[in-house]
Amino acid sequence: MTALGTLRVLTLAAAGACLAGLAWLTARAFAFGRRVYLSEPRGRAGRGLLYAFGKGMADKESVSRHLPTMLGGVVYHTAIFAALLDVVWTALPVRPGPPPGVFRPVLLAGAVVGPALLAKRAAKPHLRRLSCPDDFFANLFVDVFLALAFLRTVIPSLETALLAVSILLFFYIPLGKIRHCVFFFFTRVVFGLHFGRRGALPGSESRA
Amino acid sequence: MADATARHDPYQDKLDSLTDADLAAILAELRRRLKAPEIAAAHTCIRCGLCADACHYYLTNGELEDVPAHKLNLVLGVIKHHFLPGGRRAGGWVGARKLDKAVVREWVDALFGRCSGCGRCTVNCTSGINIHGLIRAARGALAAAGLVPPELQSTVMTAVEQGNNMGIPRDEWLETVDWIQDELRAETGDPGARIPVDEKGARLLYTVNPREPKFFPLSLLAAAKLFHAAGESWTFSSDRYDVTNYGLYSGDDSCAGLLSGRLVQAREDLGAEVLVLGECGHGFASTRWEAPQWLNRRFGFPVKSVLEVAAEYVRQGRVRLDPSKNKKPLTLHDPCNLVRLGGVVEEQRYLLENAVEDFREMTPNRRNNYCCGGGGGQLAMTRFAKRRLAAGRLKAEQIRATGAMVVVAPCHNCIDQLTELGKEYGLGTEVKTVIEIVADALVLPRKNA
Repeated sequence: MTALGTLRVLTLAAAGACLAGLAWLTARAFAFGRRVYLSEPRGRAGRGLLYAFGKGMADKESVSRHLPTMLGGVVYHTAIFAALLDVVWTALPVRPGPPPGVFRPVLLAGAVVGPALLAKRAAKPHLRRLSCPDDFFANLFVDVFLALAFLRTVIPSLETALLAVSILLFFYIPLGKIRHCVFFFFTRVVFGLHFGRRGALPGSESRA
Repeated sequence: MADATARHDPYQDKLDSLTDADLAAILAELRRRLKAPEIAAAHTCIRCGLCADACHYYLTNGELEDVPAHKLNLVLGVIKHHFLPGGRRAGGWVGARKLDKAVVREWVDALFGRCSGCGRCTVNCTSGINIHGLIRAARGALAAAGLVPPELQSTVMTAVEQGNNMGIPRDEWLETVDWIQDELRAETGDPGARIPVDEKGARLLYTVNPREPKFFPLSLLAAAKLFHAAGESWTFSSDRYDVTNYGLYSGDDSCAGLLSGRLVQAREDLGAEVLVLGECGHGFASTRWEAPQWLNRRFGFPVKSVLEVAAEYVRQGRVRLDPSKNKKPLTLHDPCNLVRLGGVVEEQRYLLENAVEDFREMTPNRRNNYCCGGGGGQLAMTRFAKRRLAAGRLKAEQIRATGAMVVVAPCHNCIDQLTELGKEYGLGTEVKTVIEIVADALVLPRKNA
């Protein structure tokens, strides 16, 4: 097997280890027990869930008061998921074809936005003090990953570097703050159900 | 603590002399309260800081210590260190912190002194982390070590030991009810008008904030008028009528459960169909939403806010309202525990639209209302009074912007804070409850004695 072939295999193995790590963290979280609600619902939990992942993603002051940051965050996360998909695609032994061309502008946008978010965290005194080293490191790490993912679309020989960084990133994901890629959805589900059953979210009010 | 006076403070002594056993008690209680959602929250918060602008403390004070994410991460840091895999090894790299005396001091200052538990940060969190819930869990952990600020703890204990948080003796309560009954007869012109007490088989058991019999008896009269006009079958309990529950604020689930359990038991003893909660935001959240958890049982009977009951009366035509009886421009404050966290959002608006001529909404309102600053036990914790009044500036500005002459709030805690804000910021507004306004608008058939 060539060195590149070995890297591809290791990349897939690292991605598997990442998923296993995240699954283990999730299992550990559930080991603390689930919360069973004993009060009678006043609203509709399902509607609360829909709100949490629909309108509620934008219907909050953290969006309306911080639109550039939130849009930056959306672009950044879209680019990260695209890059991860791109890397896995690249590492697969059998590929139907090259990655879609639409990835390139998305990756470029993410590679630009990431450092901007990092600069904001470093520049704003309260945000800087609120942060821990992982907040800076994870951002920087992902920025390097995104930059390489973009550059690889222009300079194919960078595939080796991209895969090497990807392997490290996959191992780091369950260890640091990037694990929120799974737990964000968990928390959002809890938010929607908790407030939806109370009828406290728009659209979750009981029909009665 | 910024607001602490220079006087000798045994509470500070207690904080200075914490033992390992105290720290162990805090950790044990914190662990007891952790379920999957709290662990997920510890993995979810990315410290984006976008919650800062949701907090009335931060918006009026601007200190890092007021940022909800800072308060949250004081708690999450301890959870990470003590309860999450790798937390001890990763340490400061991921914001994990060992619980020690310094952390406890920070907890007390931030979680009791800079948070009213309004949940505005929670609904505006980018991820939807239950920030106020985690802060309450940490308060409860402090309670396990006897570290609730003494002014708040004494309010809890007064209710536990004397049956209501104002320490009103039973005879005094019954005398007040008797006097209000006379007033009801005079107001309605109906000599048969009654305020039933301990009446078995009544449909509703009505509970009130003890501040009503103590300081605002006309609130009792307003509710009695409403029930009378609706021809309702209702009753007070002679000894279990306190809707408040400062255990919600202290975080002490056992006391909180005991207090809510009394109301549940009173309903069962009297055989009432519905437990009706008077105008008290945290009382509603406590008994409607939290008490089943505290008591570990499903209730199997309806628990309703008096606003829901009153709105039903109007919808069903059981009472008639004349808005011309309330001509002054009026605005509505949304109590956080009733509205944002409780889901009772439109009933009060429906009532006011039918009961007043000039109803003006504050901006923002409903789920996005600003806390008045009186919740979370802040009114009891005098050591943090300066912060409370400063944090109320947003609410004062909201009220002033409406040009209203009357502010109504379906919550007696809020009413106390709004009254203080009126003095502090020179608002010149009258402060009333929703049911008082509804009672003023009631069209009563006159009956001659």
